[in-house]
Amino acid sequence: MRYRHSLIGPIVFAATVITVSAQPVAKTATASKAWKQPMTSWGDPDLQGVWPSTSMLQTPMERDPKLGTRAALTDEEVAQKAARDKQFHQLETGNGKGFVPLAAGWFDYGQANRQASLVVDPPDGRIPTLTAEAQAREAARKKHWNEKKDSPDTWMDLTTWDRCITLGPVGSVMPFAYNNGQQIVQGPGYVVFRNEMIHEARVIPLDGRPHASPEIRSWMGDSRGHWEGKTLVVDTTNFNGQVFIGSQGGGFGDSGAVATDQLHLVERFTRVADNVINYQVTIEDPQTWTKPWTIAMPLRREADYDYIYEYACHEGNIFMHDALAGARAEEKKAAAAAQKGAN
Amino acid sequence: MSAHLLRTLSSSFLIILCLGHNPASGQAAAPKIPRMADRKPDLNGIWESLSTANWDLQDHSAYAGPMWEMGAIAAVPAGQGIVEGGLIPYLPASAEKRKQNFANRRSADPEAKCYLPGIPRAAYLPYPFQIVQSNKDMLFIYQYATASRQVNMGKPREVGADSWMGMSNGHWEGDTLVVDVTGLNGKAWLDRAGDFSSDGLHVVERYTLTDQDHVAYEATLEDPKIFARPWKIHLTLYRRVEKGFQLLEFKCIPFAEELLYGEFRKKTGK
Amino acid sequence: MTKKLAGFFLCGVCLLTPAWAHHSFTAQFDAKKPITLKGTVTDMEWINPHAWIHMDVKGDDGKVANWMVETGSPNILLRRGFTKKSLEPGTEIVVQGYMAKDGENKINGGSVTFPDGKRLFLGGSNPDQPTPTQ
Repeated sequence: MRYRHSLIGPIVFAATVITVSAQPVAKTATASKAWKQPMTSWGDPDLQGVWPSTSMLQTPMERDPKLGTRAALTDEEVAQKAARDKQFHQLETGNGKGFVPLAAGWFDYGQANRQASLVVDPPDGRIPTLTAEAQAREAARKKHWNEKKDSPDTWMDLTTWDRCITLGPVGSVMPFAYNNGQQIVQGPGYVVFRNEMIHEARVIPLDGRPHASPEIRSWMGDSRGHWEGKTLVVDTTNFNGQVFIGSQGGGFGDSGAVATDQLHLVERFTRVADNVINYQVTIEDPQTWTKPWTIAMPLRREADYDYIYEYACHEGNIFMHDALAGARAEEKKAAAAAQKGAN
Repeated sequence: MSAHLLRTLSSSFLIILCLGHNPASGQAAAPKIPRMADRKPDLNGIWESLSTANWDLQDHSAYAGPMWEMGAIAAVPAGQGIVEGGLIPYLPASAEKRKQNFANRRSADPEAKCYLPGIPRAAYLPYPFQIVQSNKDMLFIYQYATASRQVNMGKPREVGADSWMGMSNGHWEGDTLVVDVTGLNGKAWLDRAGDFSSDGLHVVERYTLTDQDHVAYEATLEDPKIFARPWKIHLTLYRRVEKGFQLLEFKCIPFAEELLYGEFRKKTGK
Repeated sequence: MTKKLAGFFLCGVCLLTPAWAHHSFTAQFDAKKPITLKGTVTDMEWINPHAWIHMDVKGDDGKVANWMVETGSPNILLRRGFTKKSLEPGTEIVVQGYMAKDGENKINGGSVTFPDGKRLFLGGSNPDQPTPTQ
C-alpha cells in the first residue's frame, strides 16, 4: 500500500509557505486577503490554468552551504542576485562591438526572490547523500557520460533528454532557461498536470483506486490523487528505474541521480492566490538517497504564458543525427590519418 | 362532446405531441447522454476507435504488411473504409506521391518513427485517448507517444507557427462539439498506407454523443495542394468501460531509435 | 576574437544558468572551426528542440550554397508574438558560429544579426528590452 502520510509533508509545506510567499524584489504583492479559492462545477478546488516555473529560474536547486539551515535570503542577498541577473541580461545584449550572443531573446529570466534553494528539506537545503550502492551506480553513469557525450557510440550513451524521451516528472517542472510551461486541466474525478517540455500529460484519477499493477512501469510513473482541504496530493509510483530525478535531464552538472524502480513521489499543489500555486514534491527512494528530500517553489502565472506551445522534440532531433554521424565522421578521419601515418 | 369528436381530438393531440418533438433540442426522443452542470454534453472519459482506419482509410482487402518476417502479425486485415464516397480525392500528382509513400511505408510512416500523429489520425489510432472537460479549455490526451492537444473553448487562438498536432479551436453547435484545426505542419500521415496531406491541411472535427458510451465522429479534410475537393470521414468512438481502465504510457522513442539512427551506430569488432 | 568572445559567452552563461544547454555542444559542433557567414535567408523552420534558419551564402568561389543555422527553441518567440512570417526569405543576415562535425553545411548560430549588428527577434521578458516589432 503506497499511501503513506509522513509528518514531513505538512511541516515542510508550512515552512515553504513562509519562505515563498515573501515578495520578490521588484514586484508588488500577489496574494490578496480577499481572494477566495474558486471551485469547479462538480465541487473540486479549481487549479486550472497555465502555471510556469519561470519565476524561480534564478534559484539554485541546492543551497549554498554557507547559509546552513537558513532558508530565506536577506534583502542584501536578494539585491545581489538581482544585480547578477542584470549582468546576465547585459551579456545577452552583446559587447558593443557587433558580437551578439544567440541568447538574445531566446531565454527566459527568473525573478530574484528570498528562497535560498529549491530543496527545502533536509533543512540544509541540500540533496541527501546517496546510498553506497547509488554512489557507485552514479559514479559509473557519470564516468560513461563524460567519456561518450562528445562522441557517442549509440543513442544509449546520451541522456533521456538528448533522446527527447523525458525529463522525468521532477526535471520537467524544475525551472530552466526556456519552456517552463505547465498546465492544469480538470474534469470530474480527474486532474491533469501537463508539461511543455517534453509534452507529457499526467492524468491523475481522484477516485481512490489503487495504483496500477507493479508489472506496469513507466518513465513518468503512475499517479493517484486526493484532496486534503484545498490541497491536491498526488502519489506516484511504478517507475521504470531509468528516470533521472533532479534538475533537467541528468547531463552537465545536473543535481540529482537516476532513481530505481522503488522511487516514490508525493506532490502537493495548493493555490494560494489567483496567480500562484505552491508546488511541492517529496522524493523518496531508499535505494538511491539515504533519506527523502523535498523541493518546493511557487508556480506563478504570467500574462504572456497562457498557452502551452507544442514541443515536438524527437521529431526535430537533428542533434541526435549530428552527434552520431559526427562521431562516425571523426572516427573515419582518424582512421584515415592513422592509415596514412602507417604507410 | 361526442365520443367521436373526443377520439379525434385525443388522436390529434397525440399527433401534435409527437410532431412537436424537435430532435435538435434533445427532447425525449433522443437517447440520454451525460451532461455537465452547464448542460453541455459531457465528453469526459476514455475513448477509442475500433475501425481499421489506421491501417488504411479506404475500403481494402486483406494485404501483406511491410515485413514478411512478422508473418500474419504485420499483415493488414480487410477493412471497410471510413471515407465518405469511398475514395480520397487526390490530385494526380498527389496520387503518385501516395503510391511512393505506400511503397516506403515500413520506414517512412511517421508512426514507425514514433512521431506525433497529427489530426485526424490521433482519433483512430489503435490506442485509447482521454477527454478531460470542465467549463474551460478541454484537453485530449492520447496514449500514443504522450501526444496531447488543447481544444480552446474561449476566443479562438491563432498560432504563429505550424505544429504536428495543430491549433484546435472548439465551440458547441447544439450538442455537437465542433473543433476547427489549423496550423498543421502536414508532416503526419493519415494512416499506415501512405495517405497524407500538406501544411495546407484544414480539418473540422465533429464529436456527437449518440448515447452514454458512443460518440459519432466526423471530420472534414481540406487541402487544395493535395486534394481535388474537401472530403469527410466518419467513425464511432467507443467508451472504454472496463472497471479501473486507465491510459498507460506509450513512450515509443526507444523502440524507434534503431530504425532512425541504426546506420550511425559505432561498429564494434574488427 | 570571435572564438574568444564565444568562449566567454558559453562559459559566462554556464556560470549564471547551469545546464543552459540541454546537450553537448561539442558532440555536434567543432569548437576549433569558427566561421562567419553572410547571406540571405531562404527559409526558417520553426521546430523544436531548435529552430533552423536556412540561408544562401556565396562562397569565395562565387558559388552559392545553402547553409542551415541552429538557433534556440522557438516557443519563447511564439509567446512573444513572433510568427513563422517574422523572418522573410531574402532578408540579409550575418551569422557567427561553429561548423558541424559531420561535415555538412551546418553551423550553430552563436550570433545571428542583421548586417548592421542589430539582433534578430529583438525583445524579451526583460522590461529593459524593447517589445517585439512584429
